[in-house]
Amino acid sequence: MMRPSGKTIGTWGPVLAAVCFLGLGTLQITTAQAATAMIFDQGGEVLYKQYDSTPDNYLATGSGGRNLNSYYALRQYPGSPPRIPHPVEESFSTAPVNCLACHAKGGYSAEYQNFIPVTPHPEKELCTQCHVPLKETKSRFPENRWESINPPKLGRSMLGGSPPPIPHSLQMRENCIACHTGPAAVAEIQIGHAARGNCRQCHVPMVQTEPMKVYIRK
Amino acid sequence: MPIFSYLAMPIEGAKEALAEELKALSFCEVLPADNVDLLVLVTDAPDEKAQQDLLEQLQKIPSLQSLSMTFGCSDELQPER
Amino acid sequence: MNLDRRSFIKCAAALSAVTAAGSIFPGISFADWKRQEGASGMITWKKAPCRFCGTGCGLLIGVSGDRAVAVKGDPNSSVNKGLCCVKGYHSVQALYGADRITTAKVKRNGKMVEVPIQEALDIVAAKIKETIGEHGKNAVAIYGSGQWTIPDGYVASKLFKGCLGTNNVEANARLCMASAVTGFMTSFGLDEPMGCYEDIDHANVFITWGNNMAEMHPVLFSRMLSNRKLRKDVEIIDFATRSTRSSQAADKSILFRPQTDLAVANAICYEIIRNNWVNWDFVNKNVSFHKGKTNIGYGLEDNFQFTDKEEPLTFEQYKTFLEDYSPEKVEKLSGVSARDIKYMAALYGDPAKKVTSFWCMGMNQHSRGTWINNLVYNIHLLVGKISTPGNSPFSLTGQPSACGTVREVGTLTHALPHGAVANPEDRALAEKIWDLPEGSIDPKPTYHTVEMFRALDRGDIRFIWIQVTNPMVTMPKLTRYRDGAKKEGRFIVVSDVYPTPTTDVADVILPAAMWIEKEGMFGNSERRTQHFEEIVPPQGEAMSDTWQIIEVARRLGFEKQFPWAKEDYIGKIWEEYRRFHDNPKHNMAPYTVLKERPGVQWPFVNGKETRWRYNPEYDPACDKGRDFHFYGQNDNRAWIWARPYEPAAESPDKEYNFWLDTGRVIEHWHTGSMTMRIPVLYNAVPSSYVEIHPDDAADLGVVNGEMVKIISRRGSVTMPASILGRGVPPRGQVFVPFFDERYLINEVTLDSFCPISKQPDYKKCAVKLEKA
Repeated sequence: MMRPSGKTIGTWGPVLAAVCFLGLGTLQITTAQAATAMIFDQGGEVLYKQYDSTPDNYLATGSGGRNLNSYYALRQYPGSPPRIPHPVEESFSTAPVNCLACHAKGGYSAEYQNFIPVTPHPEKELCTQCHVPLKETKSRFPENRWESINPPKLGRSMLGGSPPPIPHSLQMRENCIACHTGPAAVAEIQIGHAARGNCRQCHVPMVQTEPMKVYIRK
Repeated sequence: MPIFSYLAMPIEGAKEALAEELKALSFCEVLPADNVDLLVLVTDAPDEKAQQDLLEQLQKIPSLQSLSMTFGCSDELQPER
Repeated sequence: MNLDRRSFIKCAAALSAVTAAGSIFPGISFADWKRQEGASGMITWKKAPCRFCGTGCGLLIGVSGDRAVAVKGDPNSSVNKGLCCVKGYHSVQALYGADRITTAKVKRNGKMVEVPIQEALDIVAAKIKETIGEHGKNAVAIYGSGQWTIPDGYVASKLFKGCLGTNNVEANARLCMASAVTGFMTSFGLDEPMGCYEDIDHANVFITWGNNMAEMHPVLFSRMLSNRKLRKDVEIIDFATRSTRSSQAADKSILFRPQTDLAVANAICYEIIRNNWVNWDFVNKNVSFHKGKTNIGYGLEDNFQFTDKEEPLTFEQYKTFLEDYSPEKVEKLSGVSARDIKYMAALYGDPAKKVTSFWCMGMNQHSRGTWINNLVYNIHLLVGKISTPGNSPFSLTGQPSACGTVREVGTLTHALPHGAVANPEDRALAEKIWDLPEGSIDPKPTYHTVEMFRALDRGDIRFIWIQVTNPMVTMPKLTRYRDGAKKEGRFIVVSDVYPTPTTDVADVILPAAMWIEKEGMFGNSERRTQHFEEIVPPQGEAMSDTWQIIEVARRLGFEKQFPWAKEDYIGKIWEEYRRFHDNPKHNMAPYTVLKERPGVQWPFVNGKETRWRYNPEYDPACDKGRDFHFYGQNDNRAWIWARPYEPAAESPDKEYNFWLDTGRVIEHWHTGSMTMRIPVLYNAVPSSYVEIHPDDAADLGVVNGEMVKIISRRGSVTMPASILGRGVPPRGQVFVPFFDERYLINEVTLDSFCPISKQPDYKKCAVKLEKA
């Protein structure tokens, strides 16, 4: 934290006090399973080998520095299109800004020193239709009494250890791999078992903004 | 005009109650976390006296387990406009 | 300034805490919006058409408690199939701006004073009565909007035209779509497109004529782009006066000098005839040739009158007329190479290619708007590319309900819900449905919009009620009309949702319920009517525009004509309104059907939507046994009009050497009264600017962001320059978006209009630039 000089502005005293608390939540650590004879179906073997050849730090949670806070900071409600957090040159030239050059496949951007999130909908090419950059930083929320609901809670498995259901609607978000894998994935939802291939074999949608349905026989 | 921010931890299961009680105080803004029982509290008292009163009130809140300060700024030398 | 710094420090304080929390509790999340108090977290989704452009996307509004909290595209809507644009996704935030008008205000002793809304309505009714008593029925007027719902416009027309007997009913769609309407009426005898959005899924060639579709109808443009990706034989050509995002996305960008679209369209017809690409089978059976007057003026004088005179032509005469428009001759005038003209003509002329032409304000806000609409229809008619899937001259609508309300309900001075005031049968039908004595409706149209505000300035109109629009930003040559509205003896009533330059001149401000705060219907470009319920309650005393008019009508003694109850008035109004369109050429779906579906196209005949009109395969209103039946005109044909090139009202000259063009950007809607209060939109484009070509800027000595003074014979505006931004005009032209009330560019524009449609030309006037 910085300590600016100059008495005309006033003194700043940023303080990080010691914290004492009781009853912390526990951290869970998973360990890899020992390898056994594998039988693959579909393209499973390719994915399995791909997974093996990906460095550990690429798969580790939090490796990309993108977390739920930074994810929701760009949105206005759960599910809204995010605004563009980096400057976008308005420059009009014969080589227009090509979002997909970076966002179709992801990777690492030296310019922004960060991993690049992958779009779940690369077939939609008119990016500026829904995603706009931020020009004005001072008055971020100009006098609007906007409110919205909590984002979905994570990990709401029905039974201890069962695969958590998909808390969000699948409209525009059918491509699990784009958001849930890779170093640019939001740390809290980044998974390491993409090699299994068929996500929806285990994870089914149970949209948290809708009441849970109960079967009643008529 | 002292401005402070804190992490406010509620007693077990009292996150909603704590949010309500804090919002009821003057000069307080509350930012609850989505997925953990924790709140951010930002206080903005108009003067030192109000700041002291506020601190006393905070200490009396039953659902508050702990309060840790994360930011402080006090502006004695701000010229009057 | 103190407040700014304070809130900045508080932001820093909160951020500190959040960061600290993040390092102690990894994975903790504080989503960046204010949390709804006591929210269950459950969302119910209700359908509604988007509040903004004429595409008419189907939305699902997420409701929690009594607030709108989220938006999704409606996957069941055939218009947008679940996709929206940045405005649509954030549209619901427009309801919650901090300075939302929630109480009525009345001017007393020069100050606006809050009063209960019932009292304000008493004052409005009393003033109408008083004004009519002193100055006659034509001294009162209502000026509405293409953002009026259908019931809003219907009750306005019923009250003013029917009960009060004045044709002083106009809407801002006069400034937006009037030339499209007169284009349809002169070419086909009936309004509104013959095709539908499905054409996009069939066409091989798309040509955008002077409209920046990537920003203005983005969801439709996306549909074009995805078709280009899926089908290999699709080409997009952007034909415009400046380079925009649409030009970037297109396969080919062709620039033309302003106003010369008239010449290029004729040149394309010339080429089609010269190369023998005319579809003679189609033309012989379905087309007749006509001409009208030339040298028709620009409407700059008060009380400008013009009536066209139609004369028939033979094909040979039409061909002779076109001899002035060879590509080589037009190249000199327009700046479009003969090669490019021939290229476009070849696309239209190729029998293997289905061609869809899209246009909007570039062709409509044009001092020869009717003519240029006719001319693009001419091209499609010569080659018979019309009324079949993919072959579509498609006039896009700007506003969400310019079609549904203004054009279909007829809220213009000359119109009725069916037909025109001048026609005795149409008057009789209205008087019957409205339960009014014979002779209630005046057969003479009075004022179109520009003339209406001129009349207000002169004092011929003393009372005007403005709803859902902002003329004190949008009237061309604004200074005269704003000064006129502020004169003594003018009483201005404004129903709106936010304070605007128009509410600033009001004597009475009525709080209006906004969009999903009231039940209603919109009608979009492709003849699709979309119903929405009251999804969230109106704030404060806000009242739907429909109900405001009903309240005033009852105070004026017209309870019989406005008998409905608040619980079901919209459904009843719809069923009454439907009766006007009860024929296979315009039948509209019953209320129950509208409620079930995301939208229903008209004509709705025997439970089916007519997607392509004038084609017996799809349109039951056609005679059987024909390939096409253009039943709108009395000769059962579509009319080709020989319309010449005529210059703009005010072209650049030695002193005022730049063209000024105005328009929009995707983030902002019209005058910004809603979108400037939506954080993400405001932050993306916080202020307006003037686009200047880099070489012109260099001559002026101006770099990006520096202030430039734009001066015309009417006034001046100083604003920041945008050089090589999202749009680049050619040398000698500048472009200004009009969403920012801090830069009233209409103080600089000219109130010239198309003499046939009376729609002003916002795209062309002459200015000079100075470094400020």
